[in-house]
Parts: sequence; structure tokens; C-alpha cells
Amino acid sequence: MSESIHMTATVPLRPAHDRPGPAPAPARPGRRRRDLPRGPLHPATWAPTALVVLVLAAGWSAVAAEHPYILPRLSDVGLALADRPEVFLSNAWSTLSIALVGVACGAGVAFALALVMSEVPVVRRALMPLAVVLNVTPVVALAPGLVVAFGFGMAPKVIVTAIITFFPVLINVTTGLRAVPEPVLHVFQTLHASRAEVLWRLRIPYGLPYTLAALRVTMPLSIVGAVVAEFVAAGSNGGLGTLISTSASAARLDSVYAAIACLATLGVLMLALVSAVERRALFWHESQRTHASRPRRSHPAQRTEEPPR
Amino acid sequence: MTHAPDDLGIRIRGLTKTYDGGDPARPALESVDLDVGPRRFVSLIGPSGCGKSTLLRVIAGLEDHDTGEVSLFGSSPRALCAAKGVGLVPQTPALLPWQTVRRNIGLPRRVNRRAGTGGEDPDELLRAVGLSDVAHRYPHELSGGQRQRVAIARAFGLGPRLLLMDEPFSALDEFTREALRLQLLGLWQRRATTVVFVTHSVREAVTLSDEVVVMSARPGRVHEVVRVDLPRPRDAAVVTGPHMHAMEDRVRASLQSAWETGAAPDDLVTL
Repeated sequence: MSESIHMTATVPLRPAHDRPGPAPAPARPGRRRRDLPRGPLHPATWAPTALVVLVLAAGWSAVAAEHPYILPRLSDVGLALADRPEVFLSNAWSTLSIALVGVACGAGVAFALALVMSEVPVVRRALMPLAVVLNVTPVVALAPGLVVAFGFGMAPKVIVTAIITFFPVLINVTTGLRAVPEPVLHVFQTLHASRAEVLWRLRIPYGLPYTLAALRVTMPLSIVGAVVAEFVAAGSNGGLGTLISTSASAARLDSVYAAIACLATLGVLMLALVSAVERRALFWHESQRTHASRPRRSHPAQRTEEPPR
Repeated sequence: MTHAPDDLGIRIRGLTKTYDGGDPARPALESVDLDVGPRRFVSLIGPSGCGKSTLLRVIAGLEDHDTGEVSLFGSSPRALCAAKGVGLVPQTPALLPWQTVRRNIGLPRRVNRRAGTGGEDPDELLRAVGLSDVAHRYPHELSGGQRQRVAIARAFGLGPRLLLMDEPFSALDEFTREALRLQLLGLWQRRATTVVFVTHSVREAVTLSDEVVVMSARPGRVHEVVRVDLPRPRDAAVVTGPHMHAMEDRVRASLQSAWETGAAPDDLVTL
């Protein structure tokens, strides 16, 4: 788990407008066909993935036919979902609620702490080493202690999820708050802007791509945190982690993999949510420029150099 | 004789600046004396490392100096900034990418409201720089020249007493530079702000300025102040006339002399 956290210090691209140089060249009429942006429904977009899924499904079915105690048949997994949808839905909601509360707490505290650390260097020097230690400590090892302290309810699971999501947000937001280009800071300094104005009008907006990049990683990670917590502290709340534990002990591989499919779906939905927020909030950022369907984007021909009048 | 604050302009005496970790024997700026009258357009030009951008940043209050005195209209740089009396146009446009052109131009009115929220109407400024039709676009939807025009309009927006420009046209093509120079002159002549303009281009310095301050490097010093006695307004006829070329040659000769003054032995090539 800690390995995945180490991979989260995502550094978004700098806005193109801060680079000196002429505007991007307008689109040429002779652009090659394969360079044109394609929608998600275009076969060239989904066909390669569909092909890989078919190959994997065929391999899975071959193994499942010979060794049903290693992999369940895909039809059995589908039947498990179809027979008891309410079981999977209620457990998915339980896991999702832990993940959302956990990520809200972890990311919220990390964001607030990053703001304080960016303004008060002594706080950064005091707390950053502790945050790093917390990051490298296996959270699974903390869970039993949290169960003893807080019981089998929601609290220990939320705390485990919050700890897992805390560090990536802290690191990314801390980096993002320092990502204001120097010329912009100089303009604000000559206007004698207060620290609060610099924070509110510059540091937080320039840090937004970094904050959302952190959420892109931590939102799906919160599902991992919730499931790990449910493994360790299975209690009255249920959840897909608990369902997987109990199904595995009863050798119900179809239910195990049905629950895993639900978890994957939750992760994809969370990722889609963050992507949608990114597209809306970061329309100005270079990372979003490749989206062909952005409504605010002007036609490339309008971006050609035009002499001042 | 006592002067009203507006008559004082910029007064720099004995300015010395050494960067942390720099060679104390070779300060970035040494014993710089400079006077810029009010409502004058002055360019700083010189070889790389002569300290022209450092001098601009000291005037803007962005950097401290070691010794000497910097007075802007009778105030310190920071006091004039606190009163929103300084406009800055950096090398890159430094626009806020999530705000429209119009919001970017109105930005100085919204920052440091304690010092006032007045200034020129953003729509009037947009018309003056010919960008009314892109008022609601975002910076990434503009060309490089348009972005720099927004940055200039933003700096003029508060009607600053002092406008500091640090190679604002260096990233643009020659055709756009030429057009922007004339547009800048048009804006300045109607507003009568004191301008300090850093450039590497002799032609740009002569076209725009009343005086060209030629600086030498190692250490950074004022080598010579060349007075540009071309008539104003500097329209196309003036900037293509023979007197313009003579002035360019005059500044170029001074620049050559400044370069030889500050050149390191390795820089000199024996022919």
C-alpha cells in the first residue's frame, strides 16, 4: 500500500501561457487522419480495450473450466450479482460511505495543514517529518490498535482511510501552493497585495491542478483504505471487504469476485467524478487542452497572431 | 528650490547591490547614479549581466539593495507600491489563466483595496489596445502578442505614476514587436506616466525613449546616458527617417564601448 502512496506526487503540467513564445500554430488543413480527436463511441477508441477484455475473458473461462476452485466461472459471478443485488448494493454503499467520509477527513485535514505549512515555515519543518513517518508506516498495522481504541464501528475504518489519503494530498497541495510563477508574484508584490490576497487569489488557484491530481489518486485509494479497514475490523457495518472475507472463508469464489467487480466499479466511478470536476475547474490548464469537446475552446484559426490595431 | 513630489521623478544615488553568495568584489550593481524626470520614457540597455533587470527590480521594491538611495517621486519603492503607484510588465505576460481578459485587466483594482479601487475603465483600456472583441476570452485563447497587450493594459489600468517594463516584447516576432512599440507609445503619450523600460534591442530603445541608459557589466554600472532628440509623436515617418538611424548608430557605439569596458578577458576575440 505504501508503494502506491509513493507514486502519488503527481506534478501537473505548467500552464502554457507562462512560457514565453508565440501562440500554438493553427491547425493545418492537411492534418493526418489518425491525429484527429475521436469520441468515446468511435470503434478506434474502445475496440482495442474490448479485444483485450475478450482475450482475458477467454483465458479466465479456460482456467475456470479446469480449476473451478481457483477461479469461478464468469457466468457464476454474474449470477451471484443478479441473484442478490440488494446484498451487494447495501455492502457497496457501506464501503463507499466509509471511503467518502475517510477521504473527506483525510484530504480536508491535509489541505488545511498544507495551507498552514505554506504560510508558517516552522510548522512545515515541525510536521513534515512526522507526516513522512506516518506515510511509511503500514496502515494495516495501525488498524488493530484503532479497533481496540474505537471499537468495531465506523470510526476505525474512517481513520484508516483518512490516513491513507492524507499524505498524497498533503504533498501535492504543498507543492501546488508554491507553483505560482515568479512574474505573477512580482506583479502582485508591486501592487502590495497582502499575504491573504496572494494565498486566495494566486496560491490556491495555481495549486488547484495539484489538488485535483492528488484527488485523482486518493479517491480510488480511499476504496482500498476502506476495504483494508473492513478486512481488519470487520464489524456490524458490513461492507464489501467484510463480504469478501466471509465469502472466502465459505469458499464462495463467485461472491468474492462479484464483490471485487463492485469495488472496481466504485473506483472507476470515483475516478470519473474527479475527471469531470477537473474538466470543469481546470478548463484553463494545459492538462485539459486535449479534450476536443470543451465548449469554451475557440477555433484554432482564431488563435493566429493578429497585429494590434 | 523645493520640488513638488511630481517634479522629482526617480532619483538613484550610489546604489550598490551584491547577491547572496556573489563575489563582493564584483557586485551586480555598483555606485549607480541615475535621474529620471517625471513623465519621461527611459530605456535601460546593456550587455548580459550588466544588472539592468536587477536595477528594475530594486526600483520596483522587489529586491533590497546594500547601500545607496532610491527615491521614487519622493517616496521609497515600497511606499509607492503600497499606494499602487507602480505598474509592472514582466517578460512573460503573467496573466491569471482562469480569468477572462477583462477580469485580468481589472485585477489591480481588486487587489490591495486599501490603496483605492479607482483607475481606468477596463472596457476603455480594451478599446485602446484593440482587444474589445476578445474581452471575454481566456489567456490561453490568445496569441502571444495579444497576451502581452493585455499585460500592458493591466499595468496602465491604475494610472500608475511609474511603469516598469522588463523586456516585455522579447518573446514576440519582429513584426508584432514593431506594432506593439507604436501602440505602447500611443498609450503612454495620452497618459504621461514615467516609464523605465529594459530591452536588449537598440532599435526598440531609440524608438521609444527620451533617454537611453547604456549600462556596462562586471560590475553593473551606468556607462552613459544618451539623449534621444527625435521628435514626438514617433510615427512611422520618424522611426524610418535618417535621424533615427544616426541615433541607433550612436547608441550602438556606446553599447560597444560599454561591452569592452565590462568584458572578461575570455570574451575578447583577437582578430
